[in-house]
This record gives sequence, C-alpha cells and structure tokens, in this order.
Amino acid sequence: MLKLNGITRRYGGTAALDGLDFTVPDDTYVSLLGASGSGKTTLLRLIAGFEEPDAGEIVLGGERLDGKPPHRRDIGFVFQNFALFPHLSVQENVAFGLKHRETGAIASGSELTDRVAAALDLVGLTGFGHRGVGEISGGQKQRVALARTLVTEPRLVLLDEPLGALDANLRARMCDELRAIRERLKVSFLHVTGSETEALTMGDMVAVLAQGRIAQAAESTMLFHQPQNPAAARHLNAWNLLAGTVTGGALQTPVGRLPLPRPLADGTPAQLAVRFDQIDVAEPGAVPPGQDHFTARYLTGEFNGPTTLSFFRADDGELIQVVDHMSNPRLPDLEEGKTYALHFSPEAALLYEGAA
Amino acid sequence: MNTGILKPTLAIYAAIFLLFLYGPLIILAILSFQSQGGGPQFPIQEWSTYWYRHLFGVTETSRVSQLPVGDALVRSLILAFMTTVVSTVLGTMSAEAFRTRFKGSGPVFYLIILGMMVPGVLVGLGMALLSNFAGIDRAWWGTAFVLHVVYTYPFAFLVMLAIFNRFDRSVEEASLSLGVSPAQTFRRVTFPILFPGVLSAMLFSFTLSYDEFSRTLFTVGRELTLPLAIYGTFSVEIYPNIFAFGVLTTLFSFTLLVVYGLLMKRFTSRRARFSGQEEAA
Amino acid sequence: MTSVTTDMAVATKDSPAVKREGRDRRRAFMLLAPGVVWMILFMVLPMLMVIYVSFWTQTTFAVEPTLTTASWERFMSSTTYISAIGTTLRIWVIVLLATLVVGYPVALFIGLFVKNRTVQTALLVACVIPFWTSFLIRVIAWRPMLGTEGAINLILMKLGIIDQPLTFLLFSEFSVLVGMTQIYCVFMVGPITFMIARIDESMIEAARDLGASFWTIFRRIVLPLSMPGVIVGAIFVSVMVLGEFATAASLSGRKVNLLGNIIVSQVGSLKWAFAAVAGVVLTVIITAVITLALRVVDLRKEM
Repeated sequence: MLKLNGITRRYGGTAALDGLDFTVPDDTYVSLLGASGSGKTTLLRLIAGFEEPDAGEIVLGGERLDGKPPHRRDIGFVFQNFALFPHLSVQENVAFGLKHRETGAIASGSELTDRVAAALDLVGLTGFGHRGVGEISGGQKQRVALARTLVTEPRLVLLDEPLGALDANLRARMCDELRAIRERLKVSFLHVTGSETEALTMGDMVAVLAQGRIAQAAESTMLFHQPQNPAAARHLNAWNLLAGTVTGGALQTPVGRLPLPRPLADGTPAQLAVRFDQIDVAEPGAVPPGQDHFTARYLTGEFNGPTTLSFFRADDGELIQVVDHMSNPRLPDLEEGKTYALHFSPEAALLYEGAA
Repeated sequence: MNTGILKPTLAIYAAIFLLFLYGPLIILAILSFQSQGGGPQFPIQEWSTYWYRHLFGVTETSRVSQLPVGDALVRSLILAFMTTVVSTVLGTMSAEAFRTRFKGSGPVFYLIILGMMVPGVLVGLGMALLSNFAGIDRAWWGTAFVLHVVYTYPFAFLVMLAIFNRFDRSVEEASLSLGVSPAQTFRRVTFPILFPGVLSAMLFSFTLSYDEFSRTLFTVGRELTLPLAIYGTFSVEIYPNIFAFGVLTTLFSFTLLVVYGLLMKRFTSRRARFSGQEEAA
Repeated sequence: MTSVTTDMAVATKDSPAVKREGRDRRRAFMLLAPGVVWMILFMVLPMLMVIYVSFWTQTTFAVEPTLTTASWERFMSSTTYISAIGTTLRIWVIVLLATLVVGYPVALFIGLFVKNRTVQTALLVACVIPFWTSFLIRVIAWRPMLGTEGAINLILMKLGIIDQPLTFLLFSEFSVLVGMTQIYCVFMVGPITFMIARIDESMIEAARDLGASFWTIFRRIVLPLSMPGVIVGAIFVSVMVLGEFATAASLSGRKVNLLGNIIVSQVGSLKWAFAAVAGVVLTVIITAVITLALRVVDLRKEM
C-alpha cells in the first residue's frame, strides 16, 4: 500500500501539489485524472523519486520512500514517450534492469533469457527480442516499455499517460491488455491520464487531482454518479455546474431560479451539479407546470453515434451540455440559435455548499 | 526578381572562393614533387619524390638539413592524446554540471569560453612568466600541456553542451527506475548514447592540440613539438622538403577526419539497425 | 490538516526537496570544480602574471620583482611600439572587412541559394576542411603562390598581363593581408551560413509573393537575420587576428610588426617586462573589441 501524506511540491512560488493525501491500495488499478498542468506528472515523479517533495511523506508498505534515491525505491515507471534505450535491441531493453540493477542483478545468462522471454510473452511480443527499438511500431514500443518495467517485479508501477502517444484503435486495445496484465501480476498500477473516459475505463479506483490535492478518490461508477465536490464533478466532463445563492428554498443563479434537492438556509452560497443526461429540453411554452427552469440558446449538436451531445448557451454566458441517448430520445428537434427551456428534476441534481 | 543572374554569379564566385581556399595547398602539393636541384618555386625541373625521401632521411646527405620532425611528431601525438583525454573529460563533466541550474553559471560559462578566445601569445607569455616565477621548468608535457587544455577544453565543453541539450533525460530516469545506480546508468545509457558527441569533442581537441603553436611557443621548453619545429624553419630559407611535410601532415589530418567519419558511420549504422529500417519490419 | 501545516513550516529547512537540490548543486559543483580550477590556475593566473610583470624592473637579461613603470614609459615613448599598435589595428580592420566581404557572398550562396541539403553540407564542409589542416602549412603555402617566381606571377606573365614579376606580392603587408584573409574567412563563412540557412524559407517566399525584389528581401530579411552570424564571425576573426604573429613573421619579411611579433621578439631577447607591457596593451585592445561586439549584439536584441 502506498500512502502519501501532506505532499507539497512548489516550483518557485507556486505550489503544484499542496498538502496532498492519497492512498493506493495493493493489487488495484488506480487511475489518476487531472487536467494538464494539474501536477499529476509531478506526483508520479515524486513517487518515483525523480523529484522530492517540499513537505509530506511517501510511505510504501510501511517504508519511507521520500529522501531515497530513485533506483532504490523499487517502483516501476512507464513513460509517455516510452523512453526506450535507443542503442539497445528489444531484448536488451527488457533485460537491462535485471542485468544492471544495483541489488539482485541476475548474472546467469539462461535465467536472464528465460525471464526476458517470459516478459515478452506477457506483453505479446514473443519473437520480437532481436528487433531494434526503431524497427517496431508505437504500440509495440509501449509493450517493450511495459515489459522492461514489469520484468524487474516492482512493488508499484507508475504509468505516465501511457496511451497518449498511441492512436485511438490501439489505445482501446492497450486498455484491455494493461488491465489483464495487471490482474495477472497482482501489482498495483497508478495510471495518470487527462482523459476522463480512459480514467473511468481503466481504474478500479479513480482519483481526481485538482488544485494540488485529490478532490475525490473512489470506485469509478461511484465517482461518476456521486462526485463529492464541484472539482471532481468538473473533471468527469459529464456534469453541468450552476452556482448561486439559496433564496426562498431555491437556488438563485444568474440563469434563473433552480430547484434544490434538499433544503438549505437562505443566503448560503451553493452549486448545483446536473448530469448531461438528466437535463430535459422543452419548447419555451411547454415546460411542465411548477417545474423550475431556465432558458438557453441552442448552439450546436455533436453526433457521437449512440449519443448526441447538445450545447446550449445560458443567458449569463454559461455553457450547458445535454446528452441524449439514441435508444431513449428525450429532446425535441432543436434549431440552432433558438432559445429553449431547460429543466431537471431536483432529485437528479447534486448540491454542493460553498461558493464556486 | 533578378535572381536569374545572381545565382550563377554567386556560384562562380563560390567556385573562385574555393580555389582561393585550396589553391595554395594545391600549388604546395605540386611543388613538393620538385627534384633535388629545384627550388621552392616553379618551374618543376623534374618530377621526383626526392623531398619525401629527404624528409625520412633516406637520401644521401645534402646541403639541406633534414627537417627535425621525427621526435617532434611523437611528442605532438602524445601531447595531443593527453590533451584530448583531459579536455574531453573536463568538457563532459562541465557540460553535465550545466544541466543542473545553479547560481553563477553565467560567469563560469564565460570563464570556460574565454579559454578559446584569449590569444595564444598572451597565455603563453603569462604561463612562461608564471613558471619562471614559481621556478618550474617549462616542458611540452607540463606548461605547454596545461595551456593546450585551456584552449581545447572550451571546444569540448561547447560540443558536449550541444549534445546534452538534445539528450532526452527520460531514458536516464527509466534506467534509474529499473533499479540501476546513477553510475551504471551513466556507463550503460548516457555514455553510449552520447558517444558520437564525445567523438566529435575528441576530434576537435586532438586536431587543435596537434596544430597548436602560439601557446606552445613560450611554454614548450627545450624539446619542441611538431608545429614549433616547422615554425623554426620559417626564419631560414625554405626548401621543398617543408612542402612534402605539408602534404603528409595534411594527409594525416584527413586520415583523422576519415577515421572519425568511419567511427561515426559505424556507430550510427548500428543505431540505424535499431532505430531505422521501419519498412523492413 | 494541522499536521500538514506544521510539516510545511519545517519543510523549508530540511525537506527531501531541499536535500535533493542541495545534493544536485553539490554534484554540479564537484563536476565543475576541476575545470574552473584548471582555468583559474592556467589562464587567469598567467594573465594576472602578465600584468604584474609589466611593472617589474627589466635588467639586461632578467626581470626583478621591483615595481616600476619604466617599461611602460619606454613602451609609450617608443615610436616603433606605438606604430605596432597602429599596424595591429590597421591589419585587424582590413582583415575583418576583407573576410566579411569575401565570405559573405559565399555564405549567401550556400545558405540561401543551394536548396539541396547534401550539396549545402558538402560545400560547407569544403569551406571548413582547411581548418583541420596545419595552420603553419597553410601560411607557408602562400610563399610559392606569391613569390617573384611564384604561381601568380608565373600565370600573369604567361597571360602577358605583366612582363616584370610583381614584387609587392610577397614579403609585404599585402601578402600578410591575403594570407590572413584566406586563413580566417572560414570563421566568417561558417556562422553566417548557419544563420542564413536557418531563415524560414516561407518568409522569403511570402515576401517574393508580395512582389519584393531580391534586394529588398536581402536588405529587409536576410541581412538583419544574418547579423548575429556576422558578429560571431567578427569576434572569432578579431580575436585571432589581434593575437597573430606567425603569418606576419612568415609572409611579411619582417616588414609588418604586430603586437604579437613584438611580444615574440622581446621574449626572444629575454625582455620579459617589455613583452608583458605589450601583452597588457594587446589584452586591453582585445577586451575593448569583444565588449564592443557584444554590445552591438545586445543592442540588436533590444531593438
């Protein structure tokens, strides 16, 4: 189990990580979701020991890691650009760690060959050992990078946007394989990504990194359905956030009065989160009576196959997104530039106290 | 646009420029085949290899004394070798240090670069004065050697700095994350990848040191290096033997370049086997 | 969260980050120390020694560390030495201009007009290769070219352009200028070509599409963008020409006396203090020239 307590890392005056607490359980695939510049790569580099925290502690299996040089941490790292050794063949790349590591280096040639072959088998590169690393495709490079790391049997594997350099097809396939490989090895993976779909697909557990801290870490469906705070909701790219102040049992926002799922005292600043697929759209006159609603101009739609994503601009300029599932169409035919009434049932919304 | 005539004009100009650059050397090469009786000028009395044989002392004694290049050549080669090793090591270390940001890197950078800027006579004079003052005997392997390094180390440093700038640090981190110590990482990853740069730095250092004489002039002591042995003959009348020597030493420089080219090619083709040939896969 | 705050308070002192940075800095320092020590011992100290000795007392065959300005006074009152300063500066200016005038069109051709990368590289290599050959041999090679019975006179006489060999070609200031221009123009051609070749082709294409003539393009785009190359080349050439003595010694027939030649001849007659004075004068000139050149570069950056 990896425990991070109060990790802070500053560059100049600004803190990339600010008192971050986080736990990576054993034998788990954890995705770490964060926008670019959120410090997610910094976090990995701190765990790997390429950089050190300004404050806080990193503990792996009861042992303090911070302050230890990277080669004594026994943590694997898979780089976004693969970082294969350009002067070595595939086989030599995979054998590198076993052969040259400080402790427990393997001198026996046959054992080395066997372990390398097994690692290449594991990542589906049987027979590629003699190739040069320039002779193989991006996906294969990714596998070599993985095999090179896994063969040394690290206590934890860090993956820094490992799928970022691959094309979409390959990405989907590598997703499955990464999960399968991990399940076989029973070692924890900490996979950093900026893509919410990748994070939700891959992770048994997903952590959202925002403002230098973990906004929420939870099992992926739990996170998707119940983001604990606006930061987590925003990163999932599935929730509209509407901020305002509670007045007379409803939330007064720049777009209008919105219903509250639970009562709050007047004057409390709060935010409502409504999932893309739980907003209904109606012609301005056709709102069900008694239903709080707000108006927004339809901008454009994005057809994604089984779903359609529609973009609305509320009167205060807020962008509202609505998802319609093809199997269960809820939306009327929309006309670009026309204003519609948007409404949702209060039970569908999440309420966060506090200003945006 | 009147580049129509401009381009051919410039092309012809460039050709004349190359003639200007190489003309004297070509004339020198031709005159090196002058016969025994001929002087260091045209016309060629008779084509012969007399002055080459004279250079190696395999002719009968003549009124022209043999160029004193034998021992000097050995000294120059040893000196160039020593200089190459030391300046490449220093240059690599300094360039590696410059990968870490530190205060005062600007002045240190200029201090190193100054070594290639400051005129040879000046440091030569200074070193001679200093060794007189400190009572140290001047010698090619001592006072001259340290100045050669002062001169070539900046070149090696600049070459390595350029190489380090293009070097992707993540391969080093990858090696560390596999449990390989920093020292082993340098030996197994950093150095092999940087080797072409090191080779270039070595070539620079060797050539500059082998040819260096203005720093050496005051600091060499009794036993002369090759360029100084040649320089010594400038004041007296010259004979075609110096031309023959010129041809040989130029050939030597070219050989060095070719060896460098071959080493680079061997290295990069080995690399190409690994990082090229995409279509063969 | 209170524990975190206290942690952060302590952090600035000996957090792992601070320790790591300290270690990295120590490592950089250790790596740098040998080179810096070498340069201080064998470059800075000798230069200081030159200044120091220029104030020593010169006796017939030796110098004594009794401080005096006698050598300086003798130097400043001697027309030979003052004129050596003039010669050095004159030769420097002429060679600098000559290398620029001779080299720039070549750089322009290679950098701008040769589109094929391989040909471009080959031409540049052809220009740089003489740099790898022996300096002294390149100097001496001018003797059979320029002598009264040399190749140039021979060809001119064969062509009937002259009937008496030109005697000013060798052992004159002319031969020194020609020799230096040939030897040092490599250092002009290289940097300028490098800068010109880096100019974005599309920028020139765009200007051409807008109807700019070649001269406009040259004046407005190529020339300004090649200036850093010119300055770098000028620094190289200046430093080398100002410190020269061998070309003058071998091609001028003792007619050209540069400060470098003064130093060499004074050392030859064991007049160390005097050589040191010439050395200090030379240092001052070179420092002034480099400072000036660097100011021009900086000025350009500010504009």
